Parts: sequence; structure tokens; C-alpha cells
Amino acid sequence: MTTVELRGLHRRFGDVVALEHLDLSIASGEFISMLGPSGCGKTTALRIVAGFEWPDSGEVLIDGRNVIDLPANRRNMGMVFQAYSLFPNMTAQKNVEFGMRIRGQSGDKRAKRARELLELVGLGAAMDRYPRQLSGGQQQRVALARSLAIEPGVLLLDEPLSALDAKVRVQLRDEVRRIQLQLGITTLYVTHDQEEALSVSDRVAVMSNGRVEQIGTPAEIYGHPKTAFVAAFVGTMNQLEATVVSASDKTVSCMGFNMTVHESRFDYAVGDTLKVFVRPENLRVQPLANGDVPAAGSFAGRTTSFTFLGPVTRVGLNTDLGSMIADVSSALALNLTPGAPVAIELLPGSVHTLTD
Amino acid sequence: MATLTGTLEDASATTGRAGAGRIRRRRKRLPLWHLLWLVVGALYFFVPIYSLVQFSMEGGAHGLAWFHWYRYIFDQPEFRTTFWLSIQISLETVAVGVVLMVPTVFWVHLRLPRFRPAMELIAVLPFVVPPIVLIVGIIAFLHPLTWLIGRPEVLALIYVVFALPFLFRSLDAGMRAIDLKTLTEAAESLGASTFRTLVTVILPNLRAAIIGGALLTVAIAMGEYTVASLLGFNTFPIYIYQTGEALAYPAAALSVISFLLTWGAMLALFLLGGRSRTAAQPVLAK
Ligand SMILES: Nc1ncnc2c1ncn2[C@@H]1O[C@H](COP(=O)(O)OP(=O)(O)OP(=O)(O)O)[C@@H](O)[C@H]1O
Ligand SMILES: [Mg+2]
Repeated sequence: MTTVELRGLHRRFGDVVALEHLDLSIASGEFISMLGPSGCGKTTALRIVAGFEWPDSGEVLIDGRNVIDLPANRRNMGMVFQAYSLFPNMTAQKNVEFGMRIRGQSGDKRAKRARELLELVGLGAAMDRYPRQLSGGQQQRVALARSLAIEPGVLLLDEPLSALDAKVRVQLRDEVRRIQLQLGITTLYVTHDQEEALSVSDRVAVMSNGRVEQIGTPAEIYGHPKTAFVAAFVGTMNQLEATVVSASDKTVSCMGFNMTVHESRFDYAVGDTLKVFVRPENLRVQPLANGDVPAAGSFAGRTTSFTFLGPVTRVGLNTDLGSMIADVSSALALNLTPGAPVAIELLPGSVHTLTD
Repeated sequence: MATLTGTLEDASATTGRAGAGRIRRRRKRLPLWHLLWLVVGALYFFVPIYSLVQFSMEGGAHGLAWFHWYRYIFDQPEFRTTFWLSIQISLETVAVGVVLMVPTVFWVHLRLPRFRPAMELIAVLPFVVPPIVLIVGIIAFLHPLTWLIGRPEVLALIYVVFALPFLFRSLDAGMRAIDLKTLTEAAESLGASTFRTLVTVILPNLRAAIIGGALLTVAIAMGEYTVASLLGFNTFPIYIYQTGEALAYPAAALSVISFLLTWGAMLALFLLGGRSRTAAQPVLAK
């Protein structure tokens, strides 16, 4: 199969540095998502890999061979675009056959393969439809089938689902993943939707300002953000200022409340100040009778806001440690009254520092 | 498209009763003088045409068959030679114009979008510069090629310049209507060369634009008088003029014929353009 390596990719557009010495390597058969805010250079990186854009410096290695000088039509990469890209003058089948026709494959073989691929994406019955007769989601399915028809070494997708509505988006992303696993194709997927990236990828590369901030499995990215940027960008984080109480126990204190940091590396000395992070779902919030003191291991606060999110309710808190957010199971949130005192407990192993 | 229209019709069918009433009332309110205006406008256009047709048939009064002057025109060898010459020149103009402009506009759209305003400016030059100046310039330019000046093909080369604004506008609009960049990149990622992309992906989606531009080009080439007369070629417009100078009735018949030709071309443009424009529309239907 195929490995991909981006080495020191640098690209400026006038004063804007779109990519700043970007490094990324993708193992054979791996599904990597590039996740980042708008303008961080995701598309630029993907287009350089595809051959539609060129870096000022740096290399793109496919199976160890630098392909920077190879034009896009000789790179044999499948690409699915954000914009609808089916050829309007061709049926779904003819669209899928396009790449095979260029490769000089016989009509029978093309038709057979096109049928297989359209069935793979769940559109076996729509072979003879023109793009205008297909919904947005169906068009992207055909586009995926078309890109797979050339048996590409690498599959590149640039926000292929962003024009679709939420339900179709979830359905299709799972399908992209299923097909990717089935074919074992090396895949680079660009998105600014964290849920999308976390749910389908082997690894996620979080990007900011033309660089990879952190690369890791979805669990690593979510559970152990290395930088403040990743912590803030992926999911929601409570951030607290704390002082080290004991370096060996990794205990820190915030406003007199002691917490144990769950991190294998802890390069701080007693008295150092640092930022610690807790996910909202790792706060346990319980009602507290007026005048009661919270039990050991918990601290007091008051609820300030409630946002119903379906399975959980996001509760705004004004606590002894500062303002925080907690995601409380919606059933349990019914026990809480707005403005009433609560006791807050942090789940074991939920307090993290940045590891970078 | 079909399903979309279907749902719209279904929707109006269910809410039809109230809607139809409103529509009928609105139609009733159409003031009479609107209609009058329409009639005056129509008369303005149709009376001269009617007179022309009537005049061209006048032969009947002289004891001649109704279509006498038409038959007379069709029997003229001059009519046939000049008409075919103009058709030939028109087609050459279209061929040269399309071959020249399609890749140019494609390239400007794709690689040099910043050059597009300049392109637009260049394309209107033939409007701004008086034709006579243009001709003198072109002839001076072509002068070294004496063998070319003597051949009718030179007219095609000159008419390409006259047709430039129309061809450019038409192609420009056509390319703006499709997602040229994405389609081209999609084709390239599938292995197509730029040439192959242009021929198999871009051209079919520019059908309406090319037909539109081509028909306007034909209209120009079929009607151009000044250059042909200056260079001494016997084209169809020259023949019409000469006939008109000498013979009033045949000239009227000839005008009607040429009018029908133009009208036919416009109808073709409307039909072909209309059909493929709906075909290119990115309508999303479930
Ligand atoms: N052709 C170009 N000319 C000038 N600037 C460009 C060009 N392409 C990209 N840029 C700039 O480079 C930066 C990175 O752009 P890029 O399209 O890669 O971002 P992105 O991460 O894909 O963003 P989005 O999520 O909005 O698609 C942006 O600041 C953008 O304005
Ligand atoms: Mg982008």
C-alpha cells in the first residue's frame, strides 16, 4: 500500500503564511484527519499533496518518492471536493468511468467496476441519473465512487460533507470510514468539524496557523491536549490556575482546594503555578442545602445557567475556584435549581495539564 | 428538475382554490391601456415587416405569380454564389473564433483570473474603435500577406475581430455559470490532461454559450457590408445592396428571405440555448 509524508511544507500567499514548515506522516492504510479553524492551512496542505498547489519549500513523499514535480494528473490520487464536482454532462456511471476511460480500460470492465463502486456507496440504482437528478449527499457518494475508480494510492477529501445537512453528514462520514477500512486505502481528510474528525480517524492532526499543534489518536487528542490551543479547540475545557503543593504526588491547589493531576510526566516543583484542565463531563454536581459545607474532596458553587443539549444539560457554575461549566445528565439536572448552592466533585483522573 | 416541478405543482394543486381565485382577480385588474401599449408596440414592429412582405408579393398585381419575385431571386446564380460564400465565411469565422477564444477564456478563468477585467476591456474594443479604423489597421497588418488579402478567407479573419465581444461575453458567462476550477481539478485528479479536460468536460458544459456566441457571430458575418465592399468581395450583403439599388421588388423579397434566415437563427439560439441551460442547472432533487 501507500505511505504519505509531508516534510517541511512551507507556503506563503503574500503576507499570509498558509503553511509553516508543516510535517506530517501517514502510515499505509491509515485514516488521518486534519482538523483546525478556518484559514489554518488545511486546504492548502491537501492541495499541495494533490498537486494543485505548490509549496515554497518542502517535499511530499509518496512511498518515499518526492512527487512535488509530478503534475496532478499523474499522481494517481483520489480526490473528493467540498464543492459538487460531478461532470454535469455525464450520468453517475459515466462520471465513475471517467478515470478508467482515461486509463484506456475496456467498456465492459469499466461498466462492471462502475456498478460495483456505485453499489459500494449505496447508489447501485442511480447509475443512469445525471448529477442534477441527485441530492447533495448522493452527489458526494458518486464523487467518492469516482475517486475510488482509479484505484488511487491515496484518498484526499476536503470537507466533503460540509454542504450537507447534519443527519446526512453523520451517515456519510460513517460510510466513508467503512469503505476506507474495507479498501484499506491511505486517507487524508480535511475538516473543521471536531466531532467528524474524532469519530472516523485513526489519528487526528490538529492544525493552527499553518502548523500541526498536536497529532494523536482521537482519545489522546481529546483526553490529553498538549497545548492550550488544542484544549480550547477540541471540545470544551474548564481551565484553572493552580499552584503545585507536592511534586511527587502531582498535587496542585486552587484556592485551597487540592487536586491530583493525572499525567505521567510532571516537570514542576513545589510553588510553581500552572494551568490545569477538566472536561465539563468530569464534574459531578449535587444540590447542597443552604448553609451546608461540601464534603471532603468537593467544593461549593452556585448554578448560573442551564442549556439543554438533549442527553446532557450544560450547567454554568460560579464556584469557589472560579466560573466553570459542567455537563450534567439531563435527568439529574432536574434536581438542580437555578441560583441554588451546589457541591462539585471532580471525577478521579480527570485533571490534566498541558503536556507540551 | 422533473421532481422539483412535480412538488411545486402538487403544492399549488392542494392550495389551488384560494390561489386560483387570487390569480384570476389579478388578471382581471390588468388595465386596458397596458394592452393598448402592447398593441402599439407590436404594430411598430410588425407593420414594416408586413409592408415588406406585402410589397415583395406585389407581383400579383402585374399578373405575375405571388411568389414570383422569390422564385426570381432563387433562380439568380448570383444569389446562390454570394449566399454560399457568406455562409462559408460565417462558418470559418465561427471556427476560428471558437478555436481561438474557448481556450483563451478557459485559461484566463482558470489561471489568470486577475487578467479577466483586462480581457473584458480588450473584448469591447471592436465596439469602441470605428470599423473603418479597424479595417485600415487590419489591412495594414495583413498587407505583407498578399496571397491572403486576395482570398475570401481574409474576411473570416477580420470578422473574428468584430465577433470578439459577443464570443467573449457568451463564453465568459458560460464559464462563470459552471464551477470551472473544481470541474477541471476533478478531471485532472482522475488523470485527464488539460486538453482532454477541455474537450470532454468543459466543452460539453459550454454548449449553450458556444452556440449562442456562434449564432451571433454568424449574424455578424452574414450581414457585414463595409469590409466586404472595401476589399471587393461579392458577399450576400453586397448582393442585397446591389439588388436594392437596381430592382425594388426582388430586393424586398431578398430582405424577407434574409429576415427569415436571421429569425430562424435566433429561434435556434433560443431553443438550443434554453434546452441546455436547464440541463446545466444544478438543481438538487431528492
Ligand atoms: N490562492 C490564495 N491566494 C491568497 N491567499 C490564499 C490562497 N489560498 C489560501 N490563502 C490563504 O492561506 C490561508 C490558509 O488557507 P486555507 O484555504 O488552506 O485554509 P483552510 O484551513 O482550508 O480554511 P477553511 O477551513 O476556511 O477552508 C488563509 O489565510 C487563506 O486566506
Ligand atoms: Mg479549506
